[in-house]
Amino acid sequence: MMNRFELLNLLQDSIQDELVVCNIGLPSQELYKINDRPNYFYMLGSMGLSSSIGLGLSLAVEKNVISIDGDGSVLMNMNTLATIGNRAPSNYTLLIIDNGSYGSTGDQKTFTNERTSLKDVAIGAGCHNVVECSGEETNENLQKALADKDNAYVIISKIKSGNVPIKPIPLNAVTIRDRFRKEIGLVPYL
Amino acid sequence: MKISQKIITNLKSGGADFFLSVPCKLLANMITILENDKGIYYSAIPREEEGMGICAGAYLGNKLPCIMMQNTGIGNSVNSIVSLLQLYQIPVVFLISYRGTPGEPVGAQGGMAIITEDLLNTLRIPMLHCNTEEDLDKISTFTNHAKVIESPVAVLCNFNLMKDD
Repeated sequence: MMNRFELLNLLQDSIQDELVVCNIGLPSQELYKINDRPNYFYMLGSMGLSSSIGLGLSLAVEKNVISIDGDGSVLMNMNTLATIGNRAPSNYTLLIIDNGSYGSTGDQKTFTNERTSLKDVAIGAGCHNVVECSGEETNENLQKALADKDNAYVIISKIKSGNVPIKPIPLNAVTIRDRFRKEIGLVPYL
Repeated sequence: MKISQKIITNLKSGGADFFLSVPCKLLANMITILENDKGIYYSAIPREEEGMGICAGAYLGNKLPCIMMQNTGIGNSVNSIVSLLQLYQIPVVFLISYRGTPGEPVGAQGGMAIITEDLLNTLRIPMLHCNTEEDLDKISTFTNHAKVIESPVAVLCNFNLMKDD
């Protein structure tokens, strides 16, 4: 099994100009280290809301939007799966990296290690096209989700826990905001 | 319906074009109006905190979002307001049914009502109090002001103004 850093590395083969909202903490720091791009919106606060931010964005733009989230964060904001199940447009993909642990806070175990299945929760919340897969199968499923112009997707990628040594992202929030909005075509002055 | 229509008209003329709500009896007419408005986006959502996230995403995509909720919803959303909306300087209009203000029949609403303005002051969120129909005329400018200052703002509609609408 691969860890999150390895998975985020692999994902760079599937992500081109899609708009990506990335979960707070280590996922964003790892993504920044692997391949910083202006179409990556790094969350610096508000754990749990990556899925919701991406949903709001996908309702406002035509481009494909990917929310990269984690099992711990989805558990914190599970009600938004119902909103996604009922309202997500076809340009929206929620990619949940499920390593069964709160990676950023020291790898404490989450309930997906015990009896909770985020796949079943997502289906129960009304999401269609819910796929659970291994890290190795994630690119194939993500590419399928991005190519499908008629359906939103929830992909749950099951990987092992573990982190790499990493530093905080050296960008302030408004810089992240403005270069992201420039990528969408909304900030002419940067 | 007259008050509710006036609020929606002013929010829209101020630029709001993306609406979410967590229901309240006092917001019911506004929700009906929005559900029948094809010119804007509207959805009900289960919880205010996720609404702050959805609004943030909508703003990144060039919408000016408005979330309609009871004042209790501020309590549910404090961290998302500070660590998302304010951190990234994202304008969102909070259209708040101010439960627990005089005329309110439900005593339990009083607790959050007593701390609502202190909470908004602590959060450094500009407030517009709507106690009379004339106050509603200020909503349009106040909505645009959120966009100009890149900050959440709160419109507080008190109980007696809304109850017979």
